[in-house]
Amino acid sequence: MSGWSQFKAILRKDLIRELRTRDMLVSMILFVLLAMIIFHYAFTVKEGADLTYFTGGMLWVTFIFAMLLGLNRSFAQEKDEHCLDGLLLCPVDRVTIFFAKTAGNLVFLLIIQAVAVPVFALFFIERNFLGDLLPFLIVLALADLGICALGTLLATISMNTRSRDLLLPILLLPLIVPVLIAATGATTLIFAEGASFGSLVARLLLLLGFDAVFLVAAWGTYDFAIGE
Amino acid sequence: MSDEHDRQDGAASLEIEVEGLRKTFGRREVLKGLSFGVPRGGFLSIFGPNGAGKTTTLRVLATLLTSSGGSVKVAGHDVREDPMPVRKAIGFISHNAMLYPDLTAQENLRFYADMYGVEDREARITELLERLELSARRYDVVRTYSKGMRQRLAIARAVLHRPRVLLLDEPHSGLDPRAVDILDGLLTEIRDEHTFVMVTHNIAKGLEWGTDLMIIEGGRIAYEHAADVDHESFSAVYREHVHDGSVL
Repeated sequence: MSGWSQFKAILRKDLIRELRTRDMLVSMILFVLLAMIIFHYAFTVKEGADLTYFTGGMLWVTFIFAMLLGLNRSFAQEKDEHCLDGLLLCPVDRVTIFFAKTAGNLVFLLIIQAVAVPVFALFFIERNFLGDLLPFLIVLALADLGICALGTLLATISMNTRSRDLLLPILLLPLIVPVLIAATGATTLIFAEGASFGSLVARLLLLLGFDAVFLVAAWGTYDFAIGE
Repeated sequence: MSDEHDRQDGAASLEIEVEGLRKTFGRREVLKGLSFGVPRGGFLSIFGPNGAGKTTTLRVLATLLTSSGGSVKVAGHDVREDPMPVRKAIGFISHNAMLYPDLTAQENLRFYADMYGVEDREARITELLERLELSARRYDVVRTYSKGMRQRLAIARAVLHRPRVLLLDEPHSGLDPRAVDILDGLLTEIRDEHTFVMVTHNIAKGLEWGTDLMIIEGGRIAYEHAADVDHESFSAVYREHVHDGSVL
C-alpha cells in the first residue's frame, strides 16, 4: 500500500463522514453567518460609515474562530469512538495521517469561505473587487494552509488532554498571530485599495514562510504528537 | 552445541518474544520486566486483576504504546525499531469496536482495506460479511448496529488483512450469550490460521481457548503454565496469586 492511497482513504473517510452528518459544517457556517450579522449591526452605528479598513480583521477573526469549532470536532470522534486506535494500528506513516487530516480541514474551511465571502462582500464591500479576486484567492489559500497545518497539529496534541476544548484555542491563537497579521493586512489592502501583487509581496512571503515552518514542524513532531 | 540449536529453533518458532518488558507512565511503573514467548499457532490467555498491566502489555505488542525498557518482537520484528511490519502482521480485537459509527459496514471495511493495502478488497469484504452474517446490513451505518453486530464487524476489521497474530482485549466483554456463541464460533473457524494473545477476566473462556496461561499481578508475571489445568484448580491458583482474587 502506498502513502498516497492511504492519504486518499483517510481524506475520503473524513469527507464522507462529515458530508453525511454535517455536524461540523453546519455549526461552522452558522457561526460565520451569525458573526457577520453581528459585525454588520455593531459597526454600522453611523449611516454611510466606511468599514473597508476593518474588513480584513473581521473576516479573518471570523474564520479563525469558526476553524476552532471545526478542529475540535475533527478529532473528537476519532478519540471518543476509539477509532484513533484503529487508525494507529494500520501500517501508515503518521505524517500521512497529518497531511490527510490537514487536507480534510482545508476542504471544510474552503467550503465555509465559499459561503461566507459572498455574504461578507454583500454586507461590507462597496467597491467591485472581482478584478482583485486572484490575489485574494492566493492570500486565502496561503493563510488557510497555515491555519489548517498548525491547527491540525495542535488539535492532535490537545485531543489527548482532558481539557482539549480549552487547550486548543490557548495554543493556536498566539501561534497563528503572524499568519493572521499577514492575511488581515493583505485582505484589507485588496478590499480597500485593490492592491497589486507588488504591494502584497512581503505579506505573501510571510504567509509562505509560516506555512513552510508549520509544515516542517508537523513533519518532525507528528509521530510524537499523535502517539501516547 | 545441541542446546544452542534447540534454543535457536525455539526462538525461530516464536511468533511473539518479550524480554524484560518495562513500561512507566510518569513515575508509575506499570510493567516491571515481563518476559514470555508465544509459539507460532499458540494461544496465550492472560489473566489478572484490574490495573495489573494486562492491557498495557497488549497495547505494547500492538505498537499502540512504546515500551520504556526491554525488547518486544512480534512476527520477527522489533515493535519499537520496526513497527510497520508488526502492524501488518497483527489484528487487534478489543471491546471497543474501533469502527466509525457514521459510516456503513462496507465503508468501514473499505477504509481499513485501503489502509492495509488489501488487494482483493471487494471479494474479501463480501466474504467476511457473509461469514459474519452481516451481508444484509452492509449498507447500514454502524450507529444502528447492536453491540453484538458491532463486535462481529470489529472481527472482520481485525482479520481483513489476513494477520498472522491476533491480539484480543476482553473480546467477550459486554456481549449477550448469543453474541458470545457467534464470537466463539468465529474464533473456532480461524483458530488454526493465527497466533493469539487474549487478555480476559473470564477464566472459563481463557482455559477453553488457551494453550498457555499467564497471570499478571502488579506488573509482574505471577504464574505461567501450559493450559492443562481444570477450572477449579486454576481458580485456586488465581486466588493464591492475586490479592483481589475474585474469579468468573
